[in-house]
Amino acid sequence: MRKTYKILISGQVQGVGFRPFVHSLAQEFLLTGTVSNNEEGVIIFVSGLEESVFKFYKKLIQFPPPVSRIKDHEISLIEDMVYDGFKINPSKKGGQLNLSLTPDFAICDICTIEISDPENRRYGYPFTTCVNCGPRWAITNTFPFERNHTSIDEFEMCEACLNEYTDPEDRRFHSQTNTCATCGIDLFLYDQSGEKVVVPKATLFKKIASLLLEGYIIAIKNTSGYLLCCNAENEEVVQQLRDKKNRPNKPFAILYPSLGHLKDELQVNALQEKSLTSAERPINIISLKGYKGKIALQKVAPGLNQLGVMLPYSGILQLLANELAIPIVATSGNIHGSPIISENGEALEKLKEVADYFLQHRLKISHPQDDSVVKFSTRQNKEVLFRRSRGYAPNYFNATLNSGEKIMALGAHLKSSIAYNPNEFLYISQYLGNLDNFDVYHRFTTTAIKFIDLFEQKPELILYDKHPLYQSTQYGMELAKQLGVKSYQIQHHKAHFASVLGEHELFDCANPVLGVVWDGTGYGDDGHIWGGEFFDFRSKKIERIPHFEYFDWLAGDKMAKEPRLSLLSLAGPQMQSTVSEKFSKEEWTIYQALQKHNKLKTSSVGRLFDAVASLLNICDINTYEGEAAILLENLVINYSLKDCKSYLNDIEDVISPKEIIHKISLDKESGESIEQIIINFLYTLALSIMAMAKSRNYRHIALSGGVFQNTTLVDMLIELVPKEIKLYFHKELSPNDENISFGQIMYYLHLKN
Amino acid sequence: MDATKLGFDTINLGHGSGGTMTRDLLDKIIFKTFNNPYLNQKHDGSIVKFDRPFAISTDSFVVSPIFFKGGNIGELAVNGTVNDVAMCGAIPKYLSLAFIVEEGLEINDFIRIVNSVKRAADTSGVIIITGDTKVVERGKGDKIFINTTGFGEVHPNANISANNIKVGDKIIVSGFIAQHGMAIMSQREGLEFESTIVSDTTNVNFLVSDLLDKFGSKIHLFRDPTRGGLASVLSEIATDIEKGVAIVENHIPLEKQVAAACEILGLDPMYVANEGVFIAIVAAEVADAVVETMRNHEKGENAVCIGEVTEEHPLKVVMKSLIGGKRIVSPLIGEQLPRIC
Ligand SMILES: [Fe+3]
Ligand SMILES: [Mg+2]
Ligand SMILES: [Zn+2]
Ligand SMILES: [Zn+2]
Repeated sequence: MRKTYKILISGQVQGVGFRPFVHSLAQEFLLTGTVSNNEEGVIIFVSGLEESVFKFYKKLIQFPPPVSRIKDHEISLIEDMVYDGFKINPSKKGGQLNLSLTPDFAICDICTIEISDPENRRYGYPFTTCVNCGPRWAITNTFPFERNHTSIDEFEMCEACLNEYTDPEDRRFHSQTNTCATCGIDLFLYDQSGEKVVVPKATLFKKIASLLLEGYIIAIKNTSGYLLCCNAENEEVVQQLRDKKNRPNKPFAILYPSLGHLKDELQVNALQEKSLTSAERPINIISLKGYKGKIALQKVAPGLNQLGVMLPYSGILQLLANELAIPIVATSGNIHGSPIISENGEALEKLKEVADYFLQHRLKISHPQDDSVVKFSTRQNKEVLFRRSRGYAPNYFNATLNSGEKIMALGAHLKSSIAYNPNEFLYISQYLGNLDNFDVYHRFTTTAIKFIDLFEQKPELILYDKHPLYQSTQYGMELAKQLGVKSYQIQHHKAHFASVLGEHELFDCANPVLGVVWDGTGYGDDGHIWGGEFFDFRSKKIERIPHFEYFDWLAGDKMAKEPRLSLLSLAGPQMQSTVSEKFSKEEWTIYQALQKHNKLKTSSVGRLFDAVASLLNICDINTYEGEAAILLENLVINYSLKDCKSYLNDIEDVISPKEIIHKISLDKESGESIEQIIINFLYTLALSIMAMAKSRNYRHIALSGGVFQNTTLVDMLIELVPKEIKLYFHKELSPNDENISFGQIMYYLHLKN
Repeated sequence: MDATKLGFDTINLGHGSGGTMTRDLLDKIIFKTFNNPYLNQKHDGSIVKFDRPFAISTDSFVVSPIFFKGGNIGELAVNGTVNDVAMCGAIPKYLSLAFIVEEGLEINDFIRIVNSVKRAADTSGVIIITGDTKVVERGKGDKIFINTTGFGEVHPNANISANNIKVGDKIIVSGFIAQHGMAIMSQREGLEFESTIVSDTTNVNFLVSDLLDKFGSKIHLFRDPTRGGLASVLSEIATDIEKGVAIVENHIPLEKQVAAACEILGLDPMYVANEGVFIAIVAAEVADAVVETMRNHEKGENAVCIGEVTEEHPLKVVMKSLIGGKRIVSPLIGEQLPRIC
């Protein structure tokens, strides 16, 4: 018997080809009805045999379009209706919108084949997209995702494109970003002075490839912002790029022309391969073990045995890759510390000293994004997100939101991000960068305003960190005043803890949870600099329990830049002569005097890593953020837990970083290998967590903070944890300060009382 | 003056009693030093005459240590207030002087300070017309505190007000920054830098009145970037006028040794206190001439234009940094806390 049903589906279901997919599926099951987007997601009315409808429903839920994400779905019987075939109805914009925003998707396999096929009408067209792929968040101007709400709207579809768009049988049926060479976006090559370089369209990418091979630096406007590219095998040009970008040592990411080429040079495991070819297509940090290529490694990733690599994720990069025989450096188009550039004029102005050529186009980028970065731990294959940006932002699904309030959280300072909860969804911006830089700050405030405009919802509450000097704190106060709304400040490490609790929806957990929040710097409730914290969560409350023993925080921000200062602060009297060699005579006397009157204390584990790196002569002064910790981990090739020893005698309520440093210096003097000392150090840290959990009977441990970007420590924890204890690491967010904005919302919703 | 003839080595509570000991101290030190018709009346106060609108400014000085390289609390107490009056576009004329002395202060130190007050007052052309001396119990003070209030006649050409500031106005600093704060701090904390850093406490009132003679209402604002440093003063101005302030890092006058000391301590010189340095915000068309005039004056030898008032980034001070890129200069809030992870 024929019946009519209403189906509601919410989640990442708009801008992912959901309606066309429903359309063809309905036809497969001989159903009639309609599908449209509404304020809550996708709404389907289907009429047909009951059995067919349920088969259709099951298939829809089980095998939705590749880049969609279903959050909720329901089906209900309604009064019988008669439809004329199956139709896609245009979106209606009603009152409050409850939808996810669609992230950027890497070019799909079919589109890749099309642009590489001389027979295809999209051969060589760099902005080829379909319902399953292409930019989304980058070009979104208003909500929800419809062509006329994006920057693509400037380009009117030609007849051929319109035919595809309206043909239910076509892969580009209702593809909002549909364009072709006839109606779409042109690329132009300019030289340094802004003069157009005339190149026939058909040979443009050949020309760029040959310029790269010849050793030029090229700024390429991609769909998510500018990339600076050069030949990775040419030591000279990589050094030139370093000099011009004022980036002496921080590793560059490499774009490989193909997975095959990448696999010829590096060992890529199945998980890495999956990640590298996923719709998010992040940079993967991969071990250089057995490296067989010709990349100028000492210039690309100085002193490191790992490399950040990625594969082409846009039509532009794919077409370039088709002409490339070499891996290229592909790094964010900016000058040290400034945000990634996305405007043509700005690029010519700010990068003219850096790039020799500019590849530009007219597609306006509303939300510029850096490339996301992930790393899989070596032994346990645990995926750790280092930077959440293109491909991931701005949706966030795994959180219990129980607020009637519209809340905006402004995160931290150095790795800033903004979280917004204007409806039943939560949105977390891409990584925005260090707010000391005015251009980053400008992008940060613009993003906050864009969020408000996009959702047409003013926040009713602003959350920010407790640190009085974070630019995000200061902006939060300004914004709250401007909007005339309440604000609330949340301690940094409590936000970190709430963040990881939120990712695993642990707020209703019946058992107590041990929170381990280790990072470099955060302003503590007692006015000291926290960073080696343990928290207890039970009965909806968190409490700070023992922390790493305080030591002196010296010389302001300089201490975070100079690991030798952390060593000086932690070194015992018997180490003075070794440590003093790292300082000039003047510095040494000054710092001795400074210590006598010093009032500011810290429990920072980040600084303990710094001290160890300095003690082992790995790094005394950072040239980029986190350098010492990265170089330290880098020296661990492999370890065996049974050969490890702890640098702490017994772990009671206080963990003494001074004792750890003392023991390490003894080990070093006795001739222990540097690698084994680092392994023992990480083992000591892992053990201290286990000891804390066991002595206090925790069965759940939740970990957050930048220290857990150390994948060796993560591996050790996974290997040391007894069966009855469960570890919770961040899943879809980075353990570093990028998760603070989310944590602030979680703290406010679940813990503030 | 010779301490041995006074018959006591230290100041004690009796000197603050109001009795003969107090009288003795005042007669032998204060009145003898300052010796002018206003004070000599030995009245409860002084009557003075002003021909024009006048400016008043008061300040308390609690610096530690009280003797530092380049000066002591005495001249600081005069210069600080004299300069504050000058910042109002006025010509300082009279000063009140009040001491709060902690029991036990050596009389020789007191005399040194009083003499410095006298010298500084003479140099800047002000007369001490009234005063007060109190003694507090040991532990209730820190050697000596001084309060001064300055009175000055507003310069006939002056029209100093933040309201006059316009977009495009230039910001000029009269000399090297951060020197005073670093001198005090290094001595207080016992930090021995290889090169000695000397406080530049001095009076700038004559330079200010020269500028007013020449440029009058083209000078829109004077400010004295004392506590909180240049950063805090510029931030206050940006907030007050609801405009942006754009400055250039490598224009900021900073002496090498001070820069090096700040670097070692991880301090930002923009937040370090200054004395004897002021900023002028002036109409763009006179900016070069103002700098020129300052440079021809002993107290403004190192004057330089560091930036301008802008329509961009209202309420914010933004500094174009040495290595390219711009950074936000926030006002000082409490102490300089680390933020980097
Ligand atoms: Fe943190
Ligand atoms: Mg004052
Ligand atoms: Zn596609
Ligand atoms: Zn077309």
